[in-house]
Amino acid sequence: MLALFLGCGPKPKAEPQVVDLYIASDGDFLDFVPDTLTCRTGARVCLTFHHAGKIISARHDWVLTYPGKLDALTKDCLDLDGILAQDDPLVIARTPLCDKGQTVMVEFTAPRPGDYPFVCATHPEDMRGVLHVTS
Amino acid sequence: MKSKRIPALLVTIAMALLVASPLAAQLKSPDDVKTALRLLVQVSNDFKRQITNKNFARVPHENMEYMEAAEALRGAVKDEPAAFKGKVETRLKAALAAYQKISDMSATTPDADKLMAEHAKAVTAMNALFDLFPADLRPDPNTPPGGRGRGPAPATN
Repeated sequence: MLALFLGCGPKPKAEPQVVDLYIASDGDFLDFVPDTLTCRTGARVCLTFHHAGKIISARHDWVLTYPGKLDALTKDCLDLDGILAQDDPLVIARTPLCDKGQTVMVEFTAPRPGDYPFVCATHPEDMRGVLHVTS
Repeated sequence: MKSKRIPALLVTIAMALLVASPLAAQLKSPDDVKTALRLLVQVSNDFKRQITNKNFARVPHENMEYMEAAEALRGAVKDEPAAFKGKVETRLKAALAAYQKISDMSATTPDADKLMAEHAKAVTAMNALFDLFPADLRPDPNTPPGGRGRGPAPATN
């Protein structure tokens, strides 16, 4: 009876999986550590980026774009000196720019499965990586 | 008699080289030195990129970062013998002056070819600085930072 009762009710909506991702700059060097991240499609991603530099005053951020849009985003970053428009259509998610020693965060819903490139808007040719979104 | 003099001469030369250029193991902070030298190259490459992209307004900012990397090198050798520190300072100042010239020229003569010519001179000055350090601590000033942090290229891009 109980099984029948439970089986007949409206199916509860599944809560999206919450995923915490952490990424940092390689100290003062122009690398992301790690440079690959993974999450499942539809997950609520809480990404934390730490600028681990101690010497150079360059600012960094983390910007996620669509598969096939890395070159276009890189060009935008270079043309705009790393200051992208708030509504840049190439951007899926991004953290604020931050100074050495600072930590910033961004939350977004993981897009459909695929390999999504990410860059630092102020060093798009050096600081690069890929977010693998799985099904 | 002559054959005895040659080994003695070689030993003397070897000793002189050891005194003139401390080995990595003899430096007080080899990791800090290595980091500072890598940062100098990294910023030098950024100079080059900004010039190539004709982003001349950005060049003075790169010069500021070069000075920060230079300061890191000064800190990394602060506990070394005075004679060695003096040599480092002399060549570091020459490199700093060369990059400062590029920075100044970027405002007054925003010409990519002329700036690249000055950049080549600045790299030569930086090379002279690097010559003071053991080979295993020296990055190659002419090697771009490609391959670091690139990660696997997205297949669709």
